[in-house]
Amino acid sequence: MPGVIGPDRVRAVVQPALTVPGVDGVEVLFIHEWTGLTRFASSAIHQSTWQEDTGIRVRVVKGGRIGVAASNDFSEEGARRAAESAREMAEVVAPDPLFPGLAPPQPVPESDHFDEATASTTPDRRAEGVATLIAQCGRGLMASGAFETAASEVGLLNTEGQFCWAPSTQASVTTVVTADEGGSGFAETFASTLAEVDPEAVGRRAATKAAASRRPIDLDPGRYPVVLEPAAVSTLVGFLAWIGFGGRLLAEGRSCFSGKQGQQVAQPAITIYDDATSPDTIGLPFDFEGTPRRRVDLIRNGVFLDAVYDRRTAKQAGSETTGHALPPPNPEGPFPLNLFMEPGVASVEDMIASTDRGLLVTRFHYSNVVHPLESTITGMTRDGTFLIESGEVTRPVKNFRFTQSILEALRTASMVGRDTELASEFFFSASRVPALKVDSFNFTGRSDH
Amino acid sequence: MALDVAKEAVEAARAAGAHYADARFVREESESITVRNQEMEGIDRATSEGVGVRVLVDGYWGFAATARPEGAEIARTAGLAVEIARAAARLPREPVTLTGVEPASGTWASPFQDDPFNVSLEEKVALLMEATRRMQEVDGLAFAEAGIDLFRVRTSFASSEGSEIEQTVLHSGAGLDATAVAEGELQRRSYPNSFRGHIAAAGWEHIAKLGLLEEAERTATEAVELLSATDCPSEVTTLVLDSGQMELQVHESIGHAVELDRVLGMEESYAGSSFVSPGDRGTLRYASDLVSITADATIPGGLGSFGWDDEGVPAQRVPIIVDGTFQDFISSRETAGAIGGTSTGAMRADGWQNLPLIRMTNINIEPGEGSLADIIGDTKDGIFMATNQSWSIDDKRVNFQFGCEIAWRIKGGKLTQMYRNPNYTGITAEFWRSCDAVGGREDWTLWGTPNCGKGQPAQTARVGHGTAPARFRNVQVGVR
Repeated sequence: MPGVIGPDRVRAVVQPALTVPGVDGVEVLFIHEWTGLTRFASSAIHQSTWQEDTGIRVRVVKGGRIGVAASNDFSEEGARRAAESAREMAEVVAPDPLFPGLAPPQPVPESDHFDEATASTTPDRRAEGVATLIAQCGRGLMASGAFETAASEVGLLNTEGQFCWAPSTQASVTTVVTADEGGSGFAETFASTLAEVDPEAVGRRAATKAAASRRPIDLDPGRYPVVLEPAAVSTLVGFLAWIGFGGRLLAEGRSCFSGKQGQQVAQPAITIYDDATSPDTIGLPFDFEGTPRRRVDLIRNGVFLDAVYDRRTAKQAGSETTGHALPPPNPEGPFPLNLFMEPGVASVEDMIASTDRGLLVTRFHYSNVVHPLESTITGMTRDGTFLIESGEVTRPVKNFRFTQSILEALRTASMVGRDTELASEFFFSASRVPALKVDSFNFTGRSDH
Repeated sequence: MALDVAKEAVEAARAAGAHYADARFVREESESITVRNQEMEGIDRATSEGVGVRVLVDGYWGFAATARPEGAEIARTAGLAVEIARAAARLPREPVTLTGVEPASGTWASPFQDDPFNVSLEEKVALLMEATRRMQEVDGLAFAEAGIDLFRVRTSFASSEGSEIEQTVLHSGAGLDATAVAEGELQRRSYPNSFRGHIAAAGWEHIAKLGLLEEAERTATEAVELLSATDCPSEVTTLVLDSGQMELQVHESIGHAVELDRVLGMEESYAGSSFVSPGDRGTLRYASDLVSITADATIPGGLGSFGWDDEGVPAQRVPIIVDGTFQDFISSRETAGAIGGTSTGAMRADGWQNLPLIRMTNINIEPGEGSLADIIGDTKDGIFMATNQSWSIDDKRVNFQFGCEIAWRIKGGKLTQMYRNPNYTGITAEFWRSCDAVGGREDWTLWGTPNCGKGQPAQTARVGHGTAPARFRNVQVGVR
């Protein structure tokens, strides 16, 4: 297994890029990642992979003009060539009037999201975990999923003198257990270390749900009260990141929060913030242009406060960077990678008990934006959707399509869960959210399973 | 030589204990330029190279990849692939067997006239600047965006069965994106299609012929007009789709549904499976008899065209649906064998670092008769929708809901009122069985889908769809 390259060697290798002549400034983003993933289907391992890559992304500034070149040739020559290529581009393009300059030198908090045992996990260890998970599936149940362990180190250097570097790891187990007669159950766990991942518990939870969802009934679409488990809430919060929380979207009137700063957009029980510095998430202590990350309160007690910013968008909006830049050139602008919804006091059982007739949703599938300014998305339920009657889960139901405004859902959220779960869609990104009870959720169609 | 690296990796895997091995040395280069409101939004180039080694040990797969394809690192990576395969044997399963394929030796390159990487940056930027300038001349437009995307992928493939293949694909594309914003409303129009325009297996000649400058004003005008248009009504009606939206319709509700790995449950936990089963071949009434679908990796210009797939299987033209009846899947050597067939040659990997998966090649609807104008002219009452904006479909590819950028009411064979925020929903086979018109060759376009996601770790593929406009009856539109 590879090891961490380390800040000293990174600095030495990329030095030729930082000293390329004829430019006003250079920034080098270095990312080294290695990932092992053991994938299983029909209760057997069918795809197992390991990959390692080391990339540099060089941003060159010349007369306010910007060029970016990336390469996975991690060598002094590779760094120099990338910088020259970026310079060539910078020489032919128009100046960027909003370019704010490269990040100044500033201290970055230490990161403790790296675990050596996770970084060096063997294929055999992952296979053992998969076997443990599958062992939770009784007769008539089949498991599919993935056990992933990944590590990275990210460095950022620029000619202003900023230098930051941080390693991190993550581990996850995800499974869908299918049962005869149409049963299906989902569970996952996601953490920064292998030790926090419990394949047995994940397998048991998904198997229980799959067995309980056999023989789902047809139910008419319509508006129902819903109890959304954390995986489903994660989808709603994740879409707010895409269509609402970016400072560029907000400044340009393209955010579902545009014109709503200081306004009540959700129930007072709803608080959403981004905080890469929290020990309860994964993440880097700095963004991809070298600014230290800090907590940003986005919705506090139901009131929308502000978005996240990078240096360019902060200049555009007359604000300050919050440390949320993505890798350049990044036309989409800043993005919150470490979202949290503050927990409440209710258990999922409390939410179910308070529901006369409604639905319990495990998770959503293949959701997409219908109307960004109205925060309306559509998607399907999947892997465990149940009818609640008189305060009890009574029957599994076939999957529904929803077409729903996220902010409307947050305005009708009547209970917030006390326990949170961490979910992730891609590297360096995770959201930690609780379950929610929403009093009116718009289901507009249904499927046959 | 790149092919020597691949051969060395195969030999190392065999020495480490692999019973079968293949390796791909891949070098990718890309260039992306985006201009917005006559200012540079982003310009970047990227290169990436490495080698991926895939092995079978006692019928279990292993795969490992490295960005440092040299000497000891190649051997270490090959050995790791074998170690991964042996770890997989912890859970007994029916050993993988591969359907036979003749070892291939040869080279292939996608055809082009003008290498876009040799076109000056000044010329590219000037084209995009002028396109956005023309869009900005339309009053009320907030954002005028234009972009160019170029990709070149060189792959050297070797297998322990004796295949030695070198291929180069060149993909080029460009497009416009106009955005208008008003109080509580945001409308977009794209040209020639959404998601970065129209990307094809071609060179600069493709971009030069797209007519970006000529279409800039119309694209921007429609975006602004949409702001004051009426919302698409909610009703069950006749729906006509342009060929751009048909690209998405074919991709989501046919292309993914006929991937044999999905059908066999290999993607169950992530993207999902399929409502189609192996027993449906030759019997499932998937669509009306006007609909025939072909997976064609041999067609020039398609993003899913190649000489051989990433298992060394030759490119093929495969009937998927013939006159409405489902015939065959897109498959691999492993999955085809599992249902008693032969590979249809659809295995492709995203870069050197990922293992090949079944990916769409060019999933095309065979042309019918008449133009889009003919179909609209033949429609008494209905709605015409154009250009995809949003897509969602369930895990078995049954219930879908797709949104378009723009729509018009059809009355008496003519387009009348414009509608904004149009969408429609349906059940896949019911929808396709309701198709009663497919346009002819004159409005048939070979589109490129540059962002098809699948697999874990996540992979992105560029795939093709040749589609014509079509008409569907009794469709629910205007879902809210």
